[in-house]
Amino acid sequence: MSTWNVWSVPVVIIALAIIAPVLAIFYSAFLGDTTLWPHLFSTVLPRYISNTLILMLGVGSLSLVFGVSTAWIITRYNFPGKVVLEWALLLPAAVPAYIVAYTYTDFFEYAGPVQGFLRDLFGWENSQDYWFPNIRSMGGAILVMSSVLYPYIYLMTRASFLSTSTSFFQTSSIYGRNTFLYVALPLARPGIIAGLALVLMEVISDFGTVDYFALETLTLGVFNVWLGMNSLSGASQISSVLFLIVVVLLTLEYLARRNQRFHEKSSGQNIMPEQEISTFSKVMCLISCLIPFTLGFLIPVIILLNFVLSGFAVINFNEILETTFASISLSFLAATLVMFISFLMIVVSSYKSNSFQKIIIFLASCGYAFPGTILAVGIVVFIGWLNKLIHFHASYFIGGFMVLMFAYTIRFLAVGNGAIRSGVTRIHPNLMDASRTMGVSFFHSLRRIIFPLVYINILVGGILVFVDILKELPITLLLRPFNFETLATYVYQYASDEMLEESSFAALIIVIAGLGPVIFLSYTIKNIGKKKQGNIV
Amino acid sequence: MKKYLSIILLSLSINMIVSNVAFANEEVNVYSYRQPILINPFFEEFTNSTGIKVNVLHAKKGLLERLLAEGSDTPADLVLTVDIARLSQFVEEGVLMPIKSSVLTKNIPSYLRDSENRWFALSKRARIIAVSKDRVPNGAITKIEDLANSKWKGKICTRPGSHDYNRSLLASIIAAHGEAAAEDWAKGLVANLARKPEGNDRAQAKAIYEGVCDIALMNTYYFGKMKFNEKNPEQKDWAQSINLVFSNQQDRGNHINIAGGGVVKYSQNKANAIALLEFLTEPKAQELYSSMNYEYPVNPAMSLSAELKSWGEFKEDKLPIEKLAEFSAAAQKIIDRVGW
Repeated sequence: MSTWNVWSVPVVIIALAIIAPVLAIFYSAFLGDTTLWPHLFSTVLPRYISNTLILMLGVGSLSLVFGVSTAWIITRYNFPGKVVLEWALLLPAAVPAYIVAYTYTDFFEYAGPVQGFLRDLFGWENSQDYWFPNIRSMGGAILVMSSVLYPYIYLMTRASFLSTSTSFFQTSSIYGRNTFLYVALPLARPGIIAGLALVLMEVISDFGTVDYFALETLTLGVFNVWLGMNSLSGASQISSVLFLIVVVLLTLEYLARRNQRFHEKSSGQNIMPEQEISTFSKVMCLISCLIPFTLGFLIPVIILLNFVLSGFAVINFNEILETTFASISLSFLAATLVMFISFLMIVVSSYKSNSFQKIIIFLASCGYAFPGTILAVGIVVFIGWLNKLIHFHASYFIGGFMVLMFAYTIRFLAVGNGAIRSGVTRIHPNLMDASRTMGVSFFHSLRRIIFPLVYINILVGGILVFVDILKELPITLLLRPFNFETLATYVYQYASDEMLEESSFAALIIVIAGLGPVIFLSYTIKNIGKKKQGNIV
Repeated sequence: MKKYLSIILLSLSINMIVSNVAFANEEVNVYSYRQPILINPFFEEFTNSTGIKVNVLHAKKGLLERLLAEGSDTPADLVLTVDIARLSQFVEEGVLMPIKSSVLTKNIPSYLRDSENRWFALSKRARIIAVSKDRVPNGAITKIEDLANSKWKGKICTRPGSHDYNRSLLASIIAAHGEAAAEDWAKGLVANLARKPEGNDRAQAKAIYEGVCDIALMNTYYFGKMKFNEKNPEQKDWAQSINLVFSNQQDRGNHINIAGGGVVKYSQNKANAIALLEFLTEPKAQELYSSMNYEYPVNPAMSLSAELKSWGEFKEDKLPIEKLAEFSAAAQKIIDRVGW
């Protein structure tokens, strides 16, 4: 069977179309002069690089702690509040990081309630009388970003835990080994890594938080070079370095896991029973889950709500309603498209392609590692170039919804691919082989075997993408049509001027719009768990 | 049920997309660096008096690249930006066209427009020194150069150097004293900082109010926005705690930057674009710039509003404004070197 078949050829073509704008960025990097590099090397670059690495390390670690621990606690133990926390832990995913950064600054700064309370309590007069950590710092950025990014890890890890067969846990109990360390963690590794990779790419591409906290990372450097020195090629060069860091990380991980297998003999019909634990442990479980939820959701939402209730917010119901509708439809359409393409790509990459095709498909999901604006510029440059080859009136496309869809696909394919890949790696190859021996077509096998088994991963990915697009700012800003606002761009026109109070209502709507799908997802995950349990009884 | 819901949502979405494509007859399409909340009142006035509909796209980065990629297909007619360095980038890439308009030449002094009439300033913003009312005596600081004096060690707050406003200020110092002296100044300033540069200009006034520092750099309109902030009355206290110092009144004058615009080379609605540009320089719109946003009018026929007058009439640095754009990259390199 040739690997260039009716499945792989279209997928590779789609993948190439998705890679093209990334290549445009590389092209502009190589095209440009490199005379800026000596200056950058001798001045800001070492600082940018070390700050970026510290930020990645910090956010990566803290998100892992938040995400994996809560996923395990929720899956394994029974404690009061679990029913709510199970889905509430996902909610921070709906809060844009820069909004958390704004609210936290307001909350923890000199004039904010925390320091005000401390001053009243201890009778301090002014800022010279005491020391208080500055939220606009590396530590602050790590805290802010981790508290909204950990849901990626939580979600993917939990999906892995849920689909791990009980027999493994029973085996570990027989040998008296720690179930978490020796069974759950190693088996959930594809899920955990998929989540972590998304978190790290998100850290690299974030501009809002680092800009607001004046943290000198490579991303901030990209914009200083581009706008300050009027050198798009210099900016592309730094972006390409960022991109390479991510590719190297992902490749290392892939090599490390290449010889391991994660699939199961049984399809995991039974899920882990919940463990009964002591009251003290229950309290500890509750607290562990409350911390990330409070940091990433409760505090920012209460602050926003407070702004709205104190009448600070600009509330124009008609405008907001229209904008909300536009945002939700756009995100829904794009998320559906992204998941459809992701499913095709991962399935073809797993069952229908050679290693060259696998690499192309892998590269297609790396657009997540570019700062959004740079990616948007790459897309614009690519379309302009295409327009010169075959004149198709670029303006009908740039600033049209098709380009916006295309852009979201490039940007968020990594999220979809990550979710689906972590599901597909767990499917035993025998299943597909058996199905094929019975003379069933590949399409039929997909529909009857793969799709039901990764259904939950498709949902997980789809909802993450939906929420991501709801929050997405730089690409939407640059590629949207005239007079068109999404909730994120609507918030931005105030927030960019640090008029957080005025934007608080729209910011709250972003969070609320993300709630529905997140709750729906959690409900579905649970139902699948219940059905599985029903099967064994 | 779920299926129907998706189908409904899908068809609604498509409906929305189609309906958005429809455009009115007489229109002008604007790429704007200014956010809609600030610029829409101007456009509403324009539409009311001319019947021409204004379509806006607001973004702060990448609009130039979008224009370049769209080439002769671009739907854009007019570009509006803040900061002269940004505006010049559009000129350098050749996407703006020269405009012959007696209205524009009459309404805008020559040092505030391109010698080849490709860009025009629409409002001026002055970057001044804000000092603590209580802790900095009158007359202690009169020049921007004073900020490098070690006497103010640990007393100064600014936003990051690589922000447009600071970069352009540094460019004006390069224009006045040359690169080496400008770098010494920047070094001295950084040595005097009370804290790592962070926040916007408003945040610096707040820092003075809170006693974190005594001196800050600020664009004047922030002062107006704080002084009359009904939504956030605490900001009135921040404004109360500072004095505005217009710098270098004995020599070259206080540094100014502009908000401005130009007509796109491939504009399909050139006449409308020029009409809008002209409208923005007429007294009605010029008055809006100061009443809404506390910016200074460019039209010499306008007198300052009572509020702006109360801040002090001042001598501006009359450096041809495009010089600022010329020194922008050099300024950024200095900022990188001194770590501002």
